[in-house]
Amino acid sequence: MQGIIRTIRDGSGFDILLLSLALIYLVTFSAFPIIYNIIMSLQTVDMFTIASFNRPFVGLQNYYDILSQPIASAVFWNTVKFVVLSIVFQLSIGFGLALFFQQDFPGASYLRGLFLAGWIMPALVVGAIWKWLLAGDFGVINYILMSSGVTEDRIFWLSNPDVALYAVIIANVWLGIPFNMLLLSVGLASIPRDVYEAAELDGAGAFERFRSITLPLMRAQLGAVISLGVIFTLQQFDLIAALTQGGPADSSNVAQYWSWQLSFQTYEISLGSAVSVLMILFVIVVAAVYVRSTRHEHSY
Amino acid sequence: MKRYILLIIGLAITTVYLFPLYWMYLTAFKDGTEIFQYPPSFWPRNPQWNFLEVWKGRDMGRYIWNSLIIAIGVTFLVTILGTGCAYVLARVRNIWMDMALFAILMMQVLPSSLMVTPIFVAFNQLGLLASPRFAVILAQAAKMLPLYIVLCRATFVQVPRELEDAALVDGSSRIGAFFNIMLPLARNGILITSVLIFLQSFGEYVYARSLIAKNELQTATVGLQTFMGPNANDWNGIMTYAAIYVTPILVIFMLLQRRIVSGLTAGALK
Repeated sequence: MQGIIRTIRDGSGFDILLLSLALIYLVTFSAFPIIYNIIMSLQTVDMFTIASFNRPFVGLQNYYDILSQPIASAVFWNTVKFVVLSIVFQLSIGFGLALFFQQDFPGASYLRGLFLAGWIMPALVVGAIWKWLLAGDFGVINYILMSSGVTEDRIFWLSNPDVALYAVIIANVWLGIPFNMLLLSVGLASIPRDVYEAAELDGAGAFERFRSITLPLMRAQLGAVISLGVIFTLQQFDLIAALTQGGPADSSNVAQYWSWQLSFQTYEISLGSAVSVLMILFVIVVAAVYVRSTRHEHSY
Repeated sequence: MKRYILLIIGLAITTVYLFPLYWMYLTAFKDGTEIFQYPPSFWPRNPQWNFLEVWKGRDMGRYIWNSLIIAIGVTFLVTILGTGCAYVLARVRNIWMDMALFAILMMQVLPSSLMVTPIFVAFNQLGLLASPRFAVILAQAAKMLPLYIVLCRATFVQVPRELEDAALVDGSSRIGAFFNIMLPLARNGILITSVLIFLQSFGEYVYARSLIAKNELQTATVGLQTFMGPNANDWNGIMTYAAIYVTPILVIFMLLQRRIVSGLTAGALK
């Protein structure tokens, strides 16, 4: 007993104690739910069996049911579109802004800081604001588009199944720009000035400098930002809940929202956990890529 | 000269980006007919002050209070559990610590909307849903803890190791050195990271929506969602609600902006 107290006071027991506090919590509330989720996805879980500890196992039936649902392929492609388009625009706009605010002018870093206002706001509130901006009849976006001659008629962003997904993507891009810009700014700031100066002396133009210095030196950073973008986009739930709730007719439904709908709106809980298992696996693979790319940057 | 042209372009870009925020405040100040007018006005013709009315009418005090309880609970729990862990991960370097850090990074990325299904079923079986706000605190703390550890670890890495070693040589115990030397030196980073965790939890939606059944225990996000209902047209009410809700968040953020930004970038990329 004395030995234990001494090691906690003075030895590595202290480290182990502090570390295990957090790890036990995470195992209980993060790792265990994942395992439980896998078990549930192999059982029948609905309102009748939800409280029971002894549910019938059905093998891979839930996965089969999920994949054979007619909306499965629509949800899959919506998710792909949602992730790819969000990231392409977040990244290119964020990169452009990072390059712009990298230049030397008064107030540059202050203005850049203002962008983060978009990032700190609860996503549900951002969704509410965009729902009003994009409103069909009285939305200001439609007014701006029509008065500048981009479209002739009102676009019913949230109730037209052909555009609802894009409306959600627009709002998500707005939300993701600050974070992309911030992380890329950090990367840009770490590129030594004299590399550019040397290139300029050698007669390299601005575009040439960007292509042969900025892009290669930012490779690890871009990899990290893209994988973080995938992770954050797959976490996006609040925006969809505020804007379209997956509708109309599932036209803007994505996997993480569908999983929640199955569990909490139609109470097909085992189907919800089957979708959830598949998505969590995917997110973990992306996260492993992300961690590897930051490690890579470390050694270099 | 070129610098001022850049400044003007910079101001223009920022204005375009922040336009949605302006529109929220503007709509909150317009009256009920002006918001449906076409073409829309870009400055309130007849400014209204609906804030008290909406606060009372939508019972915002109760919603905000519930959000506060959850945010404070999460911040408290995460700080207690995570600070020591961040310190150890910064101090000790071996293969086990690398594996622990890797596991923590992996848990940081799990989407709430996917984790909520097993958490709901398990909490239901354990009877935790009888105290739903506590259940949300437990779930949200598990979501926030990895982020806190990663950001705090970056702070502890910056504290010179020699200071702690000196205290140990002088006969201080490990516990003493941790509380008297390391914690005070890392105080700023811990504080900023806690504020970040607080702000994130104050806007939590998925867990509150899914685990809390009673309306009087719901959070401000769910309150806003109910306000927006399927056929909502009280947009100046909704935008007033949103403005009341996010203004404190924006003010806190603007005050601490520089420190939050540097802490965040250090943690995300190192």
